[in-house]
Amino acid sequence: MSSDARRRILIVDDDDDFATAIKTFLELHGYEVHRAADSRAGVIMAQAVHPHLVLMDVIMEERTAGFFAVQNLRHTPGLEQVPVFVVSSVYAAAPDFRIKPEKAWLAHDDFFSKPVDLTALLKAIAGRIGGDGVGALAPNPGKTK
Amino acid sequence: MSEEVTQELEPVVVIDDDYAMRLSCSQILQKMGFRVEVFEDGARGLEGVARLKPALVVVDLKMPGISGLEVVARVHELDPEIIVVVITGFATIGTAVDAMKSGAYDFVPKPFSPDELRVIVNRGLERRRLRQDALRHEQERERLRRRFITFVSHQLRTPVVAVHQYLDVLRRLPEGPDTAGMRAEWLERCLTRTDEMQQLIRDWLTLAEVEGGGLTGERTPQDLGQVLGAAAERHRAYAAGEGVEVTRALPSEPLCVLADETALAVLFDNLIVNAIKYNRAGGRVAVTLEERDGEALVSVRDTGIGVPEEYRASIFDEFVRVKGESAKKTTGTGLGLPICKRIAGELGGVIELESELGTGSTFRVRLPLRAPVQTADTAGGDTREQ
Repeated sequence: MSSDARRRILIVDDDDDFATAIKTFLELHGYEVHRAADSRAGVIMAQAVHPHLVLMDVIMEERTAGFFAVQNLRHTPGLEQVPVFVVSSVYAAAPDFRIKPEKAWLAHDDFFSKPVDLTALLKAIAGRIGGDGVGALAPNPGKTK
Repeated sequence: MSEEVTQELEPVVVIDDDYAMRLSCSQILQKMGFRVEVFEDGARGLEGVARLKPALVVVDLKMPGISGLEVVARVHELDPEIIVVVITGFATIGTAVDAMKSGAYDFVPKPFSPDELRVIVNRGLERRRLRQDALRHEQERERLRRRFITFVSHQLRTPVVAVHQYLDVLRRLPEGPDTAGMRAEWLERCLTRTDEMQQLIRDWLTLAEVEGGGLTGERTPQDLGQVLGAAAERHRAYAAGEGVEVTRALPSEPLCVLADETALAVLFDNLIVNAIKYNRAGGRVAVTLEERDGEALVSVRDTGIGVPEEYRASIFDEFVRVKGESAKKTTGTGLGLPICKRIAGELGGVIELESELGTGSTFRVRLPLRAPVQTADTAGGDTREQ
């Protein structure tokens, strides 16, 4: 286990490019970031690195693998309380697979739809586990969308 | 034991104020294999219907209290799929017509024989079954369609999300030599991902075109030997770049099928490109054509990673891609083989896979052969020359 004072984040996502972009962004903001490419590896890695927070994609190898991974984390000793932010691209447009914004039915802590608003993500992470302020990036570049 | 049996029987409800009529209806329906519950007035009958959710209600039109006509309407408020048969005396035949207008399935005039009731009940329940089957099929179709839309939108969105995320981080990255390498690499990835999306849209449109018959509409005799030779030639450079050798064993005599030229090109391009893509350096792709059992048999064999057993049944379904370390480095839309399967099917043929993990895969396409064209010029005799 790391004795580094830095806050650890685990990204579980099967898209290499998405994970690389988010990982780089968070690292430049001072977080230690680990990445697993599927939900099984995600649970195993979570046990190994004991992250302070998990970013979990909900559609991976199976349509709902991420949901089961969240459940598995919740039942893993030492990880019951780890904050899980669910990240998914299904929210906005999928007609039969809507994730309720009120989030009541799923034991996760926050929800982000892809593409992720980096400023909002950073704010939510800092608010939850602290950190930030050590990074080299401007959280808000001049131009708005 | 007897209770278990009773529970499996389909419940039906009889509502009649006349004891003798309740008894005889009950006996007829019990003999037909139903669990019959009888009620002596409309109010109790409706309670029974709400509780039992029967497939069938037999109701007397003329009763004190709630009339039979009202019972018909109220039953259908509970469940419009319940079949209601009304019993009526001759004097109330006009009311029976009203009952039918308000949704009763049919009526039986008193007195009636057991057979008369049986025939009407059976017909009514048969209609209910057909309607329910149709409804179920419709729901299943709708469910699959919606699921498919969800999936397609997810597939289309994934590369867009990756590109968006790269660009958003890129514009926040500090300038400098530290990040220059990353910038260049990420821009390359953005281009790769937009290519992926283009390919997905192209394949998607091709699939829609095949489904609509647009790609297999204009059929002319095509010599498969020539078609396959040209397809193999088209991908020679790509194969060489991957370190894969493409060999062909094609007959010297023409083997003709009736097909659209473009459809055949799409079909065999997909198979050959796959065989190159899912191969290994130094591997081979063997394209063969022969006549077998009156059909043209095309085989595209590779020496690649093979298709694991659990994927073989679904490999021709949309968006099914083999996952695993060895398959990870390849990109694909998951639509190539579905396109191949549709084209082969449209042309009256089939496509099959034979695969051994680690050794390679063979895709076989069988298409109905067509005799060489007999035009007016040549119909007189065997004058056709090659």
